[in-house]
Amino acid sequence: MSNPLLIFWRQLFGRDDQTPLDIKRVPRITSGAQASATIFLIMRRMRAPLITLIVIFALSVLGLTLIPGQDAAGQPYRMGFFDAFYFMSFTATTIGFGELPFAFTTAQRLWVTFTIYLTVIGWAYAIGSLLTLLQDRAFREALALQRFTRKVARLREPFLLMAGFGRTGELLGRPFDELGQQLVVIDESAERIDALDLASYHADVPGLVGDAGNPYHLGVAGLDHPDCAGVLALTDDDEANLSVTMAAALLRPDVQVIARTVSPAIADRMHAFGTPTVINPFDRFGDLLRLGLRAPASFQLMTWLESGLGAALPSRGRPPRDGRWVLCGYGRFGQHLAADLRTEGLEVTVVEPEDAVGAAGKEPWMVVGDASEPGVMARADLPSAVGFVAGTSNDTTNLSLVAAARRTNPELFVVARQNRQANAPLFGAMHIDAMFVPAEVVAHEVYAQVSTPMLWRFLQEMPAKGDEWAAQLVDRLTGRCGRHLQAMWKVRFIRSDAPALMAWLAAGDARLGDVMRSPEDRDRYLRVVPLLVRRGEDYVLTPDDDFILAEGDEMLLAGRPADRRALDTTMIVDSASEYVLFDRNVPSSWIWRRLARKPLTLSR
Amino acid sequence: MNLEKVVFGFFVLLAAALNFGFFIGDISDPALHNVYELFAALVVSLIATVLKFGDRTQLGAVHLATSLVADLQLLSAGFVWVYASQVAETGLTAQSTATIVSLSGGALLANLVSVVLLVTETVSFHRG
Repeated sequence: MSNPLLIFWRQLFGRDDQTPLDIKRVPRITSGAQASATIFLIMRRMRAPLITLIVIFALSVLGLTLIPGQDAAGQPYRMGFFDAFYFMSFTATTIGFGELPFAFTTAQRLWVTFTIYLTVIGWAYAIGSLLTLLQDRAFREALALQRFTRKVARLREPFLLMAGFGRTGELLGRPFDELGQQLVVIDESAERIDALDLASYHADVPGLVGDAGNPYHLGVAGLDHPDCAGVLALTDDDEANLSVTMAAALLRPDVQVIARTVSPAIADRMHAFGTPTVINPFDRFGDLLRLGLRAPASFQLMTWLESGLGAALPSRGRPPRDGRWVLCGYGRFGQHLAADLRTEGLEVTVVEPEDAVGAAGKEPWMVVGDASEPGVMARADLPSAVGFVAGTSNDTTNLSLVAAARRTNPELFVVARQNRQANAPLFGAMHIDAMFVPAEVVAHEVYAQVSTPMLWRFLQEMPAKGDEWAAQLVDRLTGRCGRHLQAMWKVRFIRSDAPALMAWLAAGDARLGDVMRSPEDRDRYLRVVPLLVRRGEDYVLTPDDDFILAEGDEMLLAGRPADRRALDTTMIVDSASEYVLFDRNVPSSWIWRRLARKPLTLSR
Repeated sequence: MNLEKVVFGFFVLLAAALNFGFFIGDISDPALHNVYELFAALVVSLIATVLKFGDRTQLGAVHLATSLVADLQLLSAGFVWVYASQVAETGLTAQSTATIVSLSGGALLANLVSVVLLVTETVSFHRG
């Protein structure tokens, strides 16, 4: 701006310089100056050692040039500046070539003895200061911040900004990396960021140690980057998540925000800012459990599809449809779950210690006391119950509660809450019927929402289809793709993605089953399962082979990578689509087609 | 009174003064240009440069730039002197003296800019 030519130009043509280009206006939060502040501080701190060194050198050199010496013949001789500087350079750095150019006189040696000690101190001071500065924590952090800022600024693909890299972040990092989704991570703890480096993802995931609630850190992490596609607020601190949501909504209203919280009050405050997707793991697990009670197969399918690439098919639980449940731990999770179970028309008995309930909360369905005491448990009457929930925030308590409950009534359907990842093997050994791991619930939900928007739509529509339908779909998926979840991807039947199918689609009788054949052998059907077709605003779940496709349709498929490539070939290569659709072999090149006089069946 | 400012001003002015002292006189007469003065000018100029490290203001950046220019000029002058007096067969001729002095003249210009900046900074300083 300070360029006078530019100012002149603006004065002349100021009104006309609005460029027609549609540049995304993104507010700038950061400036390079802040990151380099520490570098300036380091330079300031190097002043004293450097000046000491210069003064010592100058003094020594000057002394050498002034003190009279003798040449080889005994004639008076004075060292020039160059010789003196040369001598001091190799003496001060302890290299020591000897007395040059002639042997010194006693007066010179006296001076040199003095300067040797002086220069050694000078060097030691300067090098010592430099090494101390390099070890300095603030300096290293400044360097790390600069490197991080540069990495983020260089990103040229859509990325997700993940605030908080706890257990949820770890669970999400792997599947997103498999999908090729770039991430940028902020976490308060340096250990978590180190864990990110050790996770050895395919992509280079920039990680910053910093407070996610600080808008400046969010800015450095790319909130103001044009390619920022979404913000995930996944710290275990509700306040921090709220500040991330606020910052994202105020500074980048155009990006998708997904926030985790366990408090309905915080969720309300989040909703006050823009339209974030708020995930409450307690609430969400309650909904899932209700679905599981009503439709075990739907529940199985949903948890499987949410688990990401390569997940094994979870077993289908057989939760009791009616009867009484006993719930230990009436905190936020317990209250949510009790409400959900009652909505399903089930009776719930709550066991909760005295001090947590208070005097007011003594309802007839509540047993007051410590659940680990046998007398209290007996009052809850476990033998007549059908389900048991160990939902306290302490894993050891939950494990012992489950063991005690099973001893009383081995038939119980047991739900247990796992708070710490380290305890996962213990819960695994207990063979719990339904595990509640908050981090996993959040991770699955975020994955389903962000990875493929069509999958999210599918999961929304799916429960309405009923249990029978879900069971069939699980059978189809396992039959065609195996018991481990295969990739899910989207194809679009538009000219740029499926040029070889355009004429066929336009003809109006494009059966879905016809295109799902192998381009190598059309008698073999591709082992893929179409999950969802979107046409405008309409969605069709699991279209069958007789479904008629039209131009502009989008389809979500699950299947193996080889079959995905096969379908891509059919969609793009004319000769492949001719063979797959009409069983005709036509040459692949236009010239050979002309020479062989074999035009395409539906020439366009 | 700020001691840092005193030291800073002292070195900037001293660098300019020494440089001027070396520069003044017939450009090609070696007898009028003392090599010790050149050495002193170089050392003081280097110290002034280090003093200007780490100033984040725009003025500080220009200060540092002028000092770097002066250092470069004086180092070149010193190098020419070493070459002329010790390496070249002819010794310190009028021509090489002229080269040394004109290089120090360039450094003097940079040092003068430095002084002007210093004065500007002082004059434009308002308390409160």
